[in-house]
Amino acid sequence: MRRLLFPAMIAILLLVAGCAHYQVNEQSREFDRETGYRFDALDPGPGNTDSLFVCLMFSGGGTRASALSYGIMKALKETAIIVDGEEKSLLDEVDCISSVSGGSFTAAYYGLFRENLFLDFRPEFLERNIQGMLAARLFNPGNWFRLASPYFSRIDMAAELYNREIFKDARFSQLEHNGRPLVTLNATNLGTERRFEFTQEYFDAMGSRLDSYPVSRAVAASSAFPYLLTPISLRNYPVAPGYTEPWWYMGALEPEDWTARRYNAARNLGVYLDEGNKYIHLMDGGLSDNIGARAVLDAYDRGFIRTRINQGAIDKLVLIVVNARTKSVDAISAGEKPPGFFTVAAKTATVAMDNYSYDSVAGLREELYSRVQSQKDEQACIELLSGHCPDAPRPVAFAAGVDPYVIEINFEAAALIPDEDPRYYLDLPTSFKLTAEQVDRLVNIGPKLLKASPQFKCLLKVLNAETQGLPRPEDCPIGSGIFP
Amino acid sequence: MAKEYLVVLFPHKRRVKINSQFMGHTNTKLELEGGRYEVTLGPPKNFTPESIEIDLKNTASLMPMTVEFERLEE
Repeated sequence: MRRLLFPAMIAILLLVAGCAHYQVNEQSREFDRETGYRFDALDPGPGNTDSLFVCLMFSGGGTRASALSYGIMKALKETAIIVDGEEKSLLDEVDCISSVSGGSFTAAYYGLFRENLFLDFRPEFLERNIQGMLAARLFNPGNWFRLASPYFSRIDMAAELYNREIFKDARFSQLEHNGRPLVTLNATNLGTERRFEFTQEYFDAMGSRLDSYPVSRAVAASSAFPYLLTPISLRNYPVAPGYTEPWWYMGALEPEDWTARRYNAARNLGVYLDEGNKYIHLMDGGLSDNIGARAVLDAYDRGFIRTRINQGAIDKLVLIVVNARTKSVDAISAGEKPPGFFTVAAKTATVAMDNYSYDSVAGLREELYSRVQSQKDEQACIELLSGHCPDAPRPVAFAAGVDPYVIEINFEAAALIPDEDPRYYLDLPTSFKLTAEQVDRLVNIGPKLLKASPQFKCLLKVLNAETQGLPRPEDCPIGSGIFP
Repeated sequence: MAKEYLVVLFPHKRRVKINSQFMGHTNTKLELEGGRYEVTLGPPKNFTPESIEIDLKNTASLMPMTVEFERLEE
């Protein structure tokens, strides 16, 4: 009997291993453009105006990024403003958060648990040795049989851990129920080599329901660091009956327009509409955009920001980029000997990403400043006509002028703060385990960096002047929120 | 990416729909990505033509593309 026990146990474990499978996203049986986790379907929340439209971008960078973005959230909560006569915090006016990797933990936690972020997030995530907990599960022999399954891997184990320990089995329906801000968790589709976002618009094209999908799996995809973790996989179903593409898709795929971003976006969506692509495999969002800026750029080009600008609903557009990028001291340029294999490998992994991140933020600034220039051209034309051709017809105006702000928070700016050394932050590791002191300093530097930002100072000055019925401060003309 | 500019003319203030999406109002300047779109107005349906296909390109903020809808007499 005992001789049979061991083979029987092995057989049971192998059976269990064979059954281990990642959680599959549900197929959608109906299409409804008015519901689901998409910006236009979300309740704005009490007192949240569109006239002050605020979007946050949280970069990747492990717990370092999570802690810095947490510090910024604290600072926004503590920033009192008055909009349309109502006193509130700047956090109350946040409309969207786009995040990557480490930043996705903060974004998703706030989206799900709101102000409890400031009570629980430090002990629940920032101050925990998450990578130690992951390693403990990985080296637990009880899990080896599950990991032997081709349909269950390290990332699924990580997602289970995040689900149980951090996100309390929350689904996207909870995010939808909570309303704005829209939290866009970004990952990278390895097949298309493009950004992927966990919104119903993407899931519509995949013929799938996002509401029943665990938030923890989206965060796991967003932070699935290559090699250490494995991809999160999704099913790509045929679209639900009655599906129609987003408004900007129709007419976007003209071959002569192939250089346009709209064409590129339509091609990307087309990947999910192609029934030949039955699975989607996702890794760290940082591979395609380590800042989270591209989702906001897309919303500005053809999404919920664009429609609101054209409808004249947005007066101030405030984009806050929380960039936890590090940079080691350049030890390469001092020596004659070429860098070795490991240095070159590390640089290969980070140089392109860093340059792309820089270009993403530069792109945001240029896009918004271009709008400022158009508004200035319009105003100058009207003034010239008034002076020289008073009877000439005036140019047709925009529905409303937009006063934009692009506020970038990064560690280099710590040089502007007394008693702070940027080197401390720029040398921090990218991991899911930091010391209590490191977390503390990161959380505390965030508000200081925000308050030191010249663009942020201008925003507060302009809001304050408006509240008091004073003219706009002369040192903060429109456009100074981008280039002070 | 550079934007293009469109003005939809109509005797009254009316919603403008671009590819069926509410995108602003008539007689104001709209800022969009370049390319092909179908332009129409919101209800009531007392305008002509029903819709206008455009290829939005080569505009400037001070020289937008203009398309015009006329009001149908009752």
